[in-house]
Amino acid sequence: MNPSGMQRTVVAIKKYARDWRWNRIAYLLILPALIGTAIVHILPMISSILISFRDLDIFSLQQWTKAPFIGLRNFIDGFNPVTTIGQRYWRSVLNVLIYGAVTIPVGYVIGLGVALLLNKKFVGRTLVRGIVLLPYILPDSVTYNVWRFMFQSRIGIVNKTLLALGLIQEPLVWLVGKYSMIAVIVASIWKGWPFGCLLLLAGLQTIPQEVIEAATIDGAGPWQRFRYVIFPYLKPVTKTLLLLNVIWNFNAFNQFFIMLGSDPGIQTDVPSVLIHRETFQNFHFGLGSAMSLILVILMMIVAAVYLRTLRVNKSMEE
Amino acid sequence: MAGILNRKRQQVLGRITIYLLVLLVLAMVLLPFLWMLSGSLKTTLEIQGADVMDPAKSPRWWPRTFTFENYIEANNTVRILDYFKNSLIISIGTMISGVLLSVMAAYALSRYAFRGRGVYVMSLLMTQMFPGVLFLIPYFVLFVWFKTLTGIPMRDTYWGMILTYTSFALPFSILMLRNYLESIPREIDEQAALDGCTPWGTLFRIILPLSKPGMAAVGIYCFIMAWNEVLFASVLTGQYTKTVSIGLLEYITTQQARWAQMMAACVIVSIPVLILFTIMQKQIVDGLVAGATKG
Repeated sequence: MNPSGMQRTVVAIKKYARDWRWNRIAYLLILPALIGTAIVHILPMISSILISFRDLDIFSLQQWTKAPFIGLRNFIDGFNPVTTIGQRYWRSVLNVLIYGAVTIPVGYVIGLGVALLLNKKFVGRTLVRGIVLLPYILPDSVTYNVWRFMFQSRIGIVNKTLLALGLIQEPLVWLVGKYSMIAVIVASIWKGWPFGCLLLLAGLQTIPQEVIEAATIDGAGPWQRFRYVIFPYLKPVTKTLLLLNVIWNFNAFNQFFIMLGSDPGIQTDVPSVLIHRETFQNFHFGLGSAMSLILVILMMIVAAVYLRTLRVNKSMEE
Repeated sequence: MAGILNRKRQQVLGRITIYLLVLLVLAMVLLPFLWMLSGSLKTTLEIQGADVMDPAKSPRWWPRTFTFENYIEANNTVRILDYFKNSLIISIGTMISGVLLSVMAAYALSRYAFRGRGVYVMSLLMTQMFPGVLFLIPYFVLFVWFKTLTGIPMRDTYWGMILTYTSFALPFSILMLRNYLESIPREIDEQAALDGCTPWGTLFRIILPLSKPGMAAVGIYCFIMAWNEVLFASVLTGQYTKTVSIGLLEYITTQQARWAQMMAACVIVSIPVLILFTIMQKQIVDGLVAGATKG
């Protein structure tokens, strides 16, 4: 090692030593959480990758390290649209995209509308603000079981209401077959919009009243005020909210599993339910791991495209 | 004069519209909730005998005969009170370990600019993105493996579930609490240090008491998260630790649909979260907003 290299090393070591002396407590404090996250996040993630290369089933489960190594077989099976499972997998990805494409915008619009409403002054506003959060705080298992009850064909209130309104002539079968996606979407929107409303309302409250008053004096109508004054303030919240929603909806499990059960048929299969079934009912642990890794990659692509689009928009605005 | 009157009338109309819209929103939110309550008070005969095509037997909002029997029967057909106890133990365990770990990590993140801080925060955010099933499979496999190697059971145990839920509550808890701690001025730390407080003393005597509301919010977040979780509970719990989320599904079997009892159980299951939320509404809302937007 040449002298200057040595010097540099010494300087680096000194820097690390100083960092350690200064921040010793920080490291000690963060250590439990760090070890915790390492054990519970990083270790499973690595094992997930290792499992996905193996043919792990109920017999080899006791010691997964002894399961036969089969290379990329699981990924090929999961990816290949020709096999039954591959076909169902891609269909499930399509299903969840359709589900998100309806649920997210509708939920956002309702949340935004209600947030604008709750930002106005009226008697009992605080109480109403608390009540609208009810769908959000009710446990998923409760919410979706109640909706499952409401969507029952013969005894459900949804069919009764639709019949009374004359929208249908015969009671529909909601939870099996072609209408089941609609049922899940309705329940998910009901459950999901208050969270958006909460964030948007917080965003609305950061807008200085003078700005809106100034716009009114300048003759801006309600729509112009919203479009050019209010909405720009809500943009950062909207971006975060949509990103969170894209991620959450891509991983949707509870609503489908509770309302439709673990094998809802190809029209309403979503990746999480499919993987859950393939792994814990058919005991194809390797295949399940491979499919969930593909899911992560797909989601990262979606998130990256989303973030890229935002950045492009931003640079165009500037 | 006419102009003023016109304006006045417009204002009144505007008021009325607002109240009508508020009523509409309330109806949208409350109707499913009321359907749950009404279902829990109906007799099984009324629910099972209902028929949307027959006006005489059509399902109604107001029960034909009121009964509280479902609330008692709900525990006879499904061991819902046992599941309730399991959920309570797991949720409180998650709450305690979640708050302890996240308060330490959050303090370090908010007060020290140590190496790897950015990477750590980034990795916390990343874990929020991944689908639950990605973790569920290795969890299950590793739990079984651990049992094979050491003989210590992990699946279907309280500590296994508490460990699992703490790990999933941690990232958001840490970020939420860090935001809270950052709102406590650093001058307070500095003053404490000048007065001869050690860093540990500052944490325990100054910062922790000041951050009680933030810790409460995080604790309740952990509790509610554990109480509501479905995916991991569906695989990792069994007869000893089954939680309410999974237990609710047992009312409907291929032989029998006990909707009235299920609705009663739904009411019981909702009570703890509703109480917690009502008490701590402001802290939870502030914490959620900060955690989601500043993270």
